[in-house]
Amino acid sequence: MNKPTSAVLGGAAGVAVLSVALLLIEVETRSRIGLFDVVARFVGVPGNQALGFLLFVAAGTFAWPLLFVALEAYLPLGPDPAIRGVGFAIPLWVAFVVLGRGDLSGAILVVYGVLTLFAHVAYGFTLGAVYGRLSGETDARRPMPAYPEEDRDVETGAGSEDR
Amino acid sequence: MSSPLPASVGESLAAAALAGTLLLGAGWLSYRIRSNASPGSRDPPGTRADGGTRTSRVSRLRAGLPYDPVRWLTTVNHRDIGTLYLLFAVVAALWGGTDALMIRTELLTPAADVWDERTYNALFTTHGLTMLFFFVTPAFTGVANYFLPLFVGADEMAFPRVNALAFWLLPPSLLLVRAGLVTEVFGKALAAVGPRVDVLYLLEPPTTGWTLYTPLSATLANPQIDLLLLGLHLSGIATVLGAVNILVTVLVDRAPDVTWANLDILTWTLLTTAGIILFAFPLLGSALVMLLLDRNFGTTFFAVEGGGPILWQHLFWFFGHPEVYILVLPAFGLVSLILPKFAGRKLFGFKFVVYSTLAIGVLSFGVWAHHMFATGIDPRLQASFMAVSLAIAVPSAVKTFNWMTTLWRGRIRLAAPMILSIGGVGLFIVGGVTGIFLASIPVDRVLHDTHYVVGHFHFIVMGVIAMMAFAASYYWFPLLTRRMYDRRMARVQAYTLIVGVFVTFFPLLLLGMDGHPRRWASYTQGMDTNPGWMLLHWIATGGAAIIGASVTLWLFNLVQSMRVGAPVTTGDPWNLKETGQFTREWAWFEERLEERRRRTTSGVEDD
Repeated sequence: MNKPTSAVLGGAAGVAVLSVALLLIEVETRSRIGLFDVVARFVGVPGNQALGFLLFVAAGTFAWPLLFVALEAYLPLGPDPAIRGVGFAIPLWVAFVVLGRGDLSGAILVVYGVLTLFAHVAYGFTLGAVYGRLSGETDARRPMPAYPEEDRDVETGAGSEDR
Repeated sequence: MSSPLPASVGESLAAAALAGTLLLGAGWLSYRIRSNASPGSRDPPGTRADGGTRTSRVSRLRAGLPYDPVRWLTTVNHRDIGTLYLLFAVVAALWGGTDALMIRTELLTPAADVWDERTYNALFTTHGLTMLFFFVTPAFTGVANYFLPLFVGADEMAFPRVNALAFWLLPPSLLLVRAGLVTEVFGKALAAVGPRVDVLYLLEPPTTGWTLYTPLSATLANPQIDLLLLGLHLSGIATVLGAVNILVTVLVDRAPDVTWANLDILTWTLLTTAGIILFAFPLLGSALVMLLLDRNFGTTFFAVEGGGPILWQHLFWFFGHPEVYILVLPAFGLVSLILPKFAGRKLFGFKFVVYSTLAIGVLSFGVWAHHMFATGIDPRLQASFMAVSLAIAVPSAVKTFNWMTTLWRGRIRLAAPMILSIGGVGLFIVGGVTGIFLASIPVDRVLHDTHYVVGHFHFIVMGVIAMMAFAASYYWFPLLTRRMYDRRMARVQAYTLIVGVFVTFFPLLLLGMDGHPRRWASYTQGMDTNPGWMLLHWIATGGAAIIGASVTLWLFNLVQSMRVGAPVTTGDPWNLKETGQFTREWAWFEERLEERRRRTTSGVEDD
C-alpha cells in the first residue's frame, strides 16, 4: 500500500484510539475536565462541541498523518515509524494542552496533562505502527533480522502458527 | 429497603429496548460467526482457500486481520486462555491505576476541590475492586493457565471448556461492576450525534468502599450497587471455576514423572491458592446474595433488627482475609521460582517453603476478625484473633529467610526479574512488619482506619504482588512472544518501580501514625494541627507519578518488543542449564523452537 494511504488509515486507527481514550477520561473524571470543550477550543471553535470534534477527527485522520509522512525522514527517534509517531504526537499534545486548557487550574491540571499525554502517545504510536505495517516500513526498518518464516507470515497475512 | 423506581416508565422502556437491540445484535453476530466457523460453510471439503472456490466476504476480512477474532473468541487452548487472562488483567490494571492517579491528585490539596467527595469515595471503591478482583486474580490465573499444564506435564487443563467459560465470565463481571462508566460513555457518544438518553446516566459509581460495609451498602439508593453485587458474584463464580480446574489438573493430570515429591514450587502455591479460593469465594457469593436480598427484597440479614451490621463484617472478612492470601501466595510462588534462577542456587529449604505455604493456607481462615478490632466484638475473641494473626507471620518469615538464604553466596545476576524479586522481598518485609504491629489490638485501635493501614497493605499488594507480576512478565516474555524485551529499559523500569513504591507508600505510614484518617477526600481540619500532611501527600503523589512512569515504560517495552524485539533463538535464554535449573516450561519452549526450525528448513508449510 502506498505511503499516504497507509498513513491516512493509520491516522484513522489512531484517532479512534484517541477519541475512545478521551471519552473514557472524560467519563472517568466525571466530566470535571470537560474534554470535549477542550477539543473544541483546541481546534478553534470554542463552544461548538460537535463541529469541534468533527474538525478534530478530520485533522487526526488526514492532516497530521500526511504531515507525518512528509516529515517522516526528519523525525527523531527512528527508524521505527511507531516511535517516530510518538515523537510526532508530543508537540500535538503540547498544543492540545496549551490551546485547550481554558480556565482549568490547580491540581486538576496534573491529571489533565498526564492523561491527555497518554492518549496522544497512544495516537502517535497507533498512527506509526499501522502506517508502518501497511506500507511495509516497519519490516524494512526492523533493527533485528526476523525469523525467516515470519517474512512468509507477512505475505500471507497469517500471523500465528496455532491455527 | 428498596428505593422507588428512579426513572420514568418511558426511560425504562427505552433502556429495555436498547438492551434488547444489543442482545439481538449479539445473537446475530454469534450466529454469523458460528455459521462461518463451522466446517463446510467456510472451507468445503477438498477445497483450499487459494483454490478459487467460494469464500464469503467475512472470511476474506478475517484472513486480512492480524489476529483471527473467531479463534480468540472460541479458543479452549490453555495457553490462549492464559494469554486472554493476562491481557484482561493489563486492561483492568491500567483502569484501576487511573483511579489511583485520580485519588492521589485529589489529595494534593487539603480541600476536596479537584473531585468532589462523592467522586473520591467512588474512586477508592472502584480502585480496590478493580485491582483485587480484576487485575491480580486474573493475572495469576493467567499464569496458572499458561504454565501449570507445562509444569505438571499435562496436555491441557482438566476441563478446557470450563476454563474458557471461567475466563469469559470475567469481562461481563467487570462491566457490571463498573457499569455506570460504560453506560455513560455510551450515553455521551449517543448525545454527541443525537438525543440525550437520561436513563444511561442513571448509574453512578458506587461509593461504598470495596468492603461494602452495611448499613451503608444496604441503604444507598444508587442502583449501580446492585449491579456491582451481581458483577462480583459473577467474578466469584469465574474464580471458583478456575480454581477447580487448577486443583483437578494438578491432582489427576500430572505426567507419570511428576510426583508430589518433585512438584515444583509454583504449582504448590497455585494448588494452595486454589484450595483457599474453593473455601473462601462461595462464602463471598452467599454474603453478596444476602446483601442483594436486603437491598431489594426487604430481608433483614444485615439490618439491626436482624443479623446486624457485624454479621456482614464477619462474613465479608471470612472471605476477605483468605483473599489476601489468594492474592499473595502466587506472588510468593513466583519469588520462590524466579529468585533461585538468577542466584544460581536451588531454593533453600524447599520443603519448608512448601510447608509454610500450606500453613498459610490453613491459618488464613483463622485471622479474619483482626479487621474488626475496632468493633464491639468480645475482647476475649479479639485476643484469640490477635494470637493467630501474629502466628501467621511465622510462615511468611520462614519464606523470607529462605529467600535470603538462597541469595547467600549465590552467583547473582541482576536481570530485571531478579531486581524485581529482590525489591519485592525487601518491600514485603516493610509491608509484613507494619502488619505485625497492626495485629496487636492496642496498636490497631489507634491506627485502624488511618493511612497507616493503606500504607501497610500497599507495601504488600504493590511491593510484592504487582512487583512479581512484572517480574513474571519479563521472565517468561521470551517464551510468550519468542522475542526478547529491551533489557536495559527493563532494568531501569525495575529500579524506578521499587523507588516509586517506597516513595508513594512510606509517607502514608507516617500520615497514619499522625492520625490521618483514610477515605477522606478533604483533610482541611487536620491541617491546623498537622501542617506537614500536605507535604507528605505531595511526596506520595510524586511517588505515584514515578510508579506511573515506570508502568508506562513497562507497557511500552513489552508492546514494542513484541513488534520488533530481537528474536529468541535458544530455548534457554536465561542460561538455566548451567546451574541445573532448566525447568519443564523452558524444555517445552526449546522443543517448539526446534520443531519450528525443522519445519522451515525442510520447507514444509505449517498448517
